[in-house]
Amino acid sequence: MFLNKLSLTNYRNYDRFELETSHQVNLFVGPNAQGKTNLLESIYVMALTKSHRTHQDKQLIRWNEDQALLTAEVDKRYGPVRLSLSITPQGKKAKINGLEQRKLSSFIGTLNVVMFAPEDLEIVKGAPGIRRRFLDMEIGQVHPGYLYEVTQYQKVLVQRNNYLKQLASGKSANAAMLDIWNEQLVQFGIKIMKKRQSFIKKLQVWAERIHAGITNGREEILLEYRPSFPLSEEEDEAMLFDRFMLKLSQAKEQEIRRGATLAGPHRDDMVFWINGKEVHVYGSQGQQRTTALSLKLAELELIREELGEYPLLLLDDVLSELDPYRQTQLIETFQDKVQTFVTTTSLDSVNMEKLRDSAVYHVAGGAVTEQAD
Amino acid sequence: MYYPEPLAKLIDSFSKLPGIGPKTAGRLAFQILRMKEDEVVDFAKALVNVKRNLHYCSVCCNITDVDPCRICQDKTRDASCICVVQEAKDLVAIERTKEFNGYYHVLHGAISPMEGIGPDEIYIAELLKRLSDERVQELILATNPNIEGEATAMYLSRLVKPFGLKVTRIAHGLPVGGDLEYADEVTLTKALEGRRELS
Repeated sequence: MFLNKLSLTNYRNYDRFELETSHQVNLFVGPNAQGKTNLLESIYVMALTKSHRTHQDKQLIRWNEDQALLTAEVDKRYGPVRLSLSITPQGKKAKINGLEQRKLSSFIGTLNVVMFAPEDLEIVKGAPGIRRRFLDMEIGQVHPGYLYEVTQYQKVLVQRNNYLKQLASGKSANAAMLDIWNEQLVQFGIKIMKKRQSFIKKLQVWAERIHAGITNGREEILLEYRPSFPLSEEEDEAMLFDRFMLKLSQAKEQEIRRGATLAGPHRDDMVFWINGKEVHVYGSQGQQRTTALSLKLAELELIREELGEYPLLLLDDVLSELDPYRQTQLIETFQDKVQTFVTTTSLDSVNMEKLRDSAVYHVAGGAVTEQAD
Repeated sequence: MYYPEPLAKLIDSFSKLPGIGPKTAGRLAFQILRMKEDEVVDFAKALVNVKRNLHYCSVCCNITDVDPCRICQDKTRDASCICVVQEAKDLVAIERTKEFNGYYHVLHGAISPMEGIGPDEIYIAELLKRLSDERVQELILATNPNIEGEATAMYLSRLVKPFGLKVTRIAHGLPVGGDLEYADEVTLTKALEGRRELS
């Protein structure tokens, strides 16, 4: 899909802004604090009705104004779509082709984007919780029932942990009750584990190909799902159910002592390997970044499999972090296929020869000028 | 203090009710002030009576003014079936369907360790006492379809196993009269799981 036209009114530091885009690469160039990321963010907001940087919609509205308005013209596989989103401190209104949508959820997903920003490095470097959130967000986009299972699981977990604490303090001694919490925990838990396992497997297929491309075949990436207890590919839900139950009964004494559930998807992790070494331990900063990038680009391919067309790719300040070879490879991988929006502080570090048909915009103080060819 | 004390006290009492904030409480209090005296006395009596004259039925634990409650006294009902619900409100909801003709049992809550509610805090012991009556054949578990309601149902079904009763759980799934396309994915999945064969 392609974003043909974007216009912003009173959005962040832009009072009025209109952009006719290139279907190839769009480069936003300018010094820091001029509003480059705000442009990428506005495209992200058009897709998901919320920002990747803040939970407070009020911050998206230009200082001293009451409402921000974003409109876009999008070319999808089945035809053009006009989108508009107005943001006020009281709430948001979304329209598709001029028709107001009763629920924001029916607006989300009309425009699809994959964003890669510097903070995504945390998926590789950060705590396991960040990787679990990454998994949950991505799987949730593809399987609508998945997020329900995750929230139900969390609720059972809270109840079960409370119950374990009661057992520990002797306030309760009803062993039959623990079995019931186990059963509910396992019932939701195995569904989550199965979905995570198959998602990582699908992601692996693409990440492998993309990572080899970016690194000229020098690096081989492996994504490993690491649940709280080993899980084999062949196991069906019934076998997994029994094993999870067994695990819980083995850990029972320890769980009561610690007042916490010690096995289950809330303790899952994901490990990235490059050429047989764990990236977050042994990888260089550059390798970690490339790993995160490969993940995001693999996600792009997965979304294409689901939708039948590529989403937009938003790269926030990423090019300058890669060496010229990796840059060129990255751009070549997606040129001619994916409409891409890139921010960078300087063109010197960007290999322009490769960026044929790219449009360059200079961003300064909330004003954008297109560079003539 | 902007209000004279009796009025302030009334406003304070109203604002203890769920869903009533200070402003609504003020509006309600002024409405009382405008009412005729005998109306206010009736109102006050109703408040006191609801507390003084109502208690739990010694059989089914429903809220009642006579003991046993009117449903438990009704001999035309089917004694082979007891429907277990969480709250008295749930009983009323099922009673409105006019389709169920058995007796009820009200638990007054669901098991929730988070809120410190275990099996002993809800009226399960009272239910077990009723099961030794050999006329009882079936127990319908109509607790809410959430984590706590489900846990309570699972607990009960295990607990009553020695009695050899038929234990059933109410179905969850699609609302009647709705279109399939409007159902959310989770409900639809549940409906698929709970499908049954047509004879």
